[in-house]
Amino acid sequence: MPGGLLEGVKVLDLSEDIAGAFCSRLLADYGADVLKLEPPEGAALRGMGPFFGDDTHPEKSLFFLVMNLNKKGATVNLETEKGRDILKALVPQVDVIVESYRPGYLESIGLGYEALERLNPGLVMTSITPFGQTGPYSLYQGEEIVNYAMGMIMSISGLQGREPLKHGGFQAQYEGGLNGAAATSIALFALERTGLGEHVDVSVTECVASTMMATQTMYAFTGGTQARRRASGSNFGNPMPCGDGWIIVQPGGGASWEDIAGFFGAPEMLESRFSDQAQRALHGEELDEIVIGAIKDQSKWDLFPKAAQARMLFGVVQDPSELARCPQLESREFFREIEHPVIGQIKVPAVLFNMSLTPYGECRPAPTLGQHNLEIYVDGLGYTEEEVSRLREQKVI
Amino acid sequence: MTLPLDGIRVVDSTYVFALPYCGGLMADLGAEVIKLEGPGRPDISRTGGLAATFPEADPGEDWWNRSSTYNLMHRGKRSLVLDMTDERGRDLFRQLACVSDVVMENFTPRVMRGWGLDYPNLRKIKPDIIMVSNTGYGHGDGPYSSYPAQATTQEATHGHCWITGYPGGPPSKAGASFVDFLSTWSAMFAITAALRYRNRTGQGQWIDLAMYQSGAMLTSEYLMDAIANGRVGGRIGNRHPYRAPQGCYPALGDDQWITLSVGSDEQWSALCRLMGRDDLARDPALANVSGRRDNHDRIDEAIGAWTCGFDKHELMHTLQGEGIPAGPVLTGRDVHFDPHYRSRGFLERVTYPAERNMGTRPFIGRPYKFSRTPVSIRGPSPTFGQHNQPLLEGLLGLDHESYRQLAQDVVVATAPTSGNLEVRVPAEEAVKRGLMAAWDPDYRERLEDL
Repeated sequence: MPGGLLEGVKVLDLSEDIAGAFCSRLLADYGADVLKLEPPEGAALRGMGPFFGDDTHPEKSLFFLVMNLNKKGATVNLETEKGRDILKALVPQVDVIVESYRPGYLESIGLGYEALERLNPGLVMTSITPFGQTGPYSLYQGEEIVNYAMGMIMSISGLQGREPLKHGGFQAQYEGGLNGAAATSIALFALERTGLGEHVDVSVTECVASTMMATQTMYAFTGGTQARRRASGSNFGNPMPCGDGWIIVQPGGGASWEDIAGFFGAPEMLESRFSDQAQRALHGEELDEIVIGAIKDQSKWDLFPKAAQARMLFGVVQDPSELARCPQLESREFFREIEHPVIGQIKVPAVLFNMSLTPYGECRPAPTLGQHNLEIYVDGLGYTEEEVSRLREQKVI
Repeated sequence: MTLPLDGIRVVDSTYVFALPYCGGLMADLGAEVIKLEGPGRPDISRTGGLAATFPEADPGEDWWNRSSTYNLMHRGKRSLVLDMTDERGRDLFRQLACVSDVVMENFTPRVMRGWGLDYPNLRKIKPDIIMVSNTGYGHGDGPYSSYPAQATTQEATHGHCWITGYPGGPPSKAGASFVDFLSTWSAMFAITAALRYRNRTGQGQWIDLAMYQSGAMLTSEYLMDAIANGRVGGRIGNRHPYRAPQGCYPALGDDQWITLSVGSDEQWSALCRLMGRDDLARDPALANVSGRRDNHDRIDEAIGAWTCGFDKHELMHTLQGEGIPAGPVLTGRDVHFDPHYRSRGFLERVTYPAERNMGTRPFIGRPYKFSRTPVSIRGPSPTFGQHNQPLLEGLLGLDHESYRQLAQDVVVATAPTSGNLEVRVPAEEAVKRGLMAAWDPDYRERLEDL
C-alpha cells in the first residue's frame, strides 16, 4: 500500500479563518501531517455557524469541523514570550507554515518569514490574506463581500438596474484555500530541486479576480465593460421554474438547436427570431415564455435524465439536502463518516478529487481545543507534564 | 533562474476553460505545455463564444488565433493540431505521451477509452505518466457520469445557484463559468503534488477530477447544516449570516457601488459618525447586532443615502480608515487602473509579434507570488498548429516526407477545418442593448499610459 500523496510533509496551521484552514485541510486530506495551533480561547472559526443542533458550543461549529478535518490541534498564545518560544521550537520540525494574519503581524512579534527561515532553511510559509502582503490596500480589512466586490465578479453578478450581487456562502475564502494549497504544492515541488524555501503570498481578492477572464479581457481587447444580466429576457442559460423547482439549460453539448426545441416540444423555437445567439438575446422574453410554458408542470427529476439522453447541457437546481443524498456524489465517495468526540457520528463532505495510487485516506474529525497538547508538548518538544501544567496556568497554552 | 516546473512537459488535450487555464498557469511556472486540438475541433474559446472578444472587435482573417479568452489561457504554450480520430494521430499521441510527464484531457469518459488512450493503456507505454481527466460529473459508475456538462448547468446541480440570489428571489446563476476555475486550481494542486510524489517514488498515477464535486465542496457549510440540522439554507443576497449591516450600496456616478461590512458595535458607532447620524448611533434598537439585523432595511436606506454622494474609492479609504471592512465593486475596466492591482503587477502585458497584429495586451497573471522565484507570463499564445513541425519532426523524429503526407491528409493542420465564429454586435449597439455596461472608445490610449 503506497503512502499518502503528501506523506511526510509536516504543516503548522496558524490560520484562524476559512481560507487558511481550508488550504491546510487539503494538505491534510492528501496525507500531510497538519498541526493546527490555536490561541487558548480557540480559533475565530469556532464561533461561526452552522452549529450542531444550533448549540453555539465551540466544539459544535460545523464550519470549524469541516474546515479542520484530518488535523491535530494544540493551543498556544503567541502574545506571550513563552508562546513564541514554543512556536520557534516547533518550526524546525515542520516543512510548511500556513498563516492568515494581517501582513506584518508575525514580523512585529519576531516571527516573520526571514526569522523563521533562519530556524529552518527551506521552510515554505504560505500567507493567505485579503489583499496580499504588498500594495496600498494590503493592511485594509477584508470580508467576503469586500473580496468579492474587488475581485470584479460582483460587477457582473445580479441584474441590471439592481445592486451587484455577492454569491452565496464564502466562495472567495474557499478559492483562497484552493490556491493556497496549489501554491504550497508548487513551492514544495520546487524545494525538492533547489533546496530553497519560499514565502508564498496569496491574495484572496486576486483569486476571485483570476476567474474574470472574459471580463478583464473585454476591456483590454475592445474597451467594453461587461454588464450584469438584463432583468428580463435572459433566463435561457439561467434557472427557470418548472413544476417542482428550477432547471437550467444552455445550447451546445451534443444537442443541436433542433434537438433542444424537440425536447421542449416547442416547434416555435425553430423560428428565425431564435436562429442564433444574437437573435435569441434580442427575443429573450419570448423565448423564456415558450420554455417556461413548456416545463411548468414537469418535474426536474424527469427532465434531467431525458435531457442527458438528448445530449443537452442541462442541470437542475439542487438544494443542500438534495446534494447531501446525491447518488452521484455517493458513487464518488465524496462524503465520509467521522466519529466526533462531542458531536458523535456524522457525515462530512470530504473528497475534492480522486486519485488512482494515493487516494484520499481515512477521514478524521477536527481536533477539539488543545486535544493534542500533551502529545505535542511532552512527546514532541520534551516538556514535562508539570511544565505543561504551568504553561496552562500561565495561559500560554 | 530555475522556474518551479522547468523541464516538465505537459500534453494539454483539454478544451473550454478549466484545464486549458491550468495549462497556461503551468506554462507561467516553466513547464513546456503542448496544447493539442483536432483539425476539425478547435477550442470553443477560439470562436468568440462564452463572452470572449476580439482585438478592436475585429475577428480578422485568422479569427481562431485572436479571441481574448483563448489568448489568456494559452499564453506561453506550444500548439499541436492532430486528428485523434485517425490512427496515425493516435500513434503520434502515444509517442508524445512517452516523452511527456503529464497528460491532461477533458473528454467525456467514453472517448479516451474508445481510443485506447485511457490511463490503463497510457500507463502500459509510459509507466510513470501522470494523467489528469476532468469531467463534469467524474468517471466511475455513478448515475450522472455520462451526462454532458458545462459550468453554466453545473452551477445549478452543485448547489451554487440555490444559495445565490437576491433575498426572497429565485436561485441565481454566477456571473461567470465559476466552477471551471475550481477545477483549474484543484488540478494544479493535484498535478504538482503528484509530480513531487513521482520524483520520490518513481510512480505516476491518474487524477480523476469532477467539476461537480469541486463545486459541491464549496458549499460545505450548507451541506453540514443540511446533514446535521435538516436545514436547506436560503438566499440572503449581500447580507451576512452574523454581521450587520453588510451590503452593496450606490456610490457617486452611474452604476458605481461600494460594499461594506460591520462586524462590531465599535464599527457601527464609527459608521454612524461618518454618516453624521447620531440618531442611529443612539437608537437602542440598533445597539447590538441582532437589533441591526432586524432593522437591516432601514439601515440600508440610511447608508445608501450617504454613500451615493461619494466616489467609491474615496468611500473605501474613509471607511477602512475607521477600521470598517469596505471596498468598491471593481469592473473589468477598473481593474486596469486600480493602484493596488497595479502595484502588485496583477495584470501582465504580453507583446505579440508584428505579424499577429494584436499589439500589446494586459492579461490576468496569478493570485500568488513566490518570494524567491519571480514568475510571469512567458509569451503569447501560439497560432493554431504553430508547432506541428518542430514537435513532430524535431521532438518525435518523424521524417519530413511522412509529415507532408500527414499535412496533405489533414491529420495535422494549421487552420481549423470547422468551427463557427459567433456573431458579434458592435460595441455601441451592445451598450444600447444592455449587453455591455459601458464602452471607452479610447481604451488603447488609456492602456498605453500604464
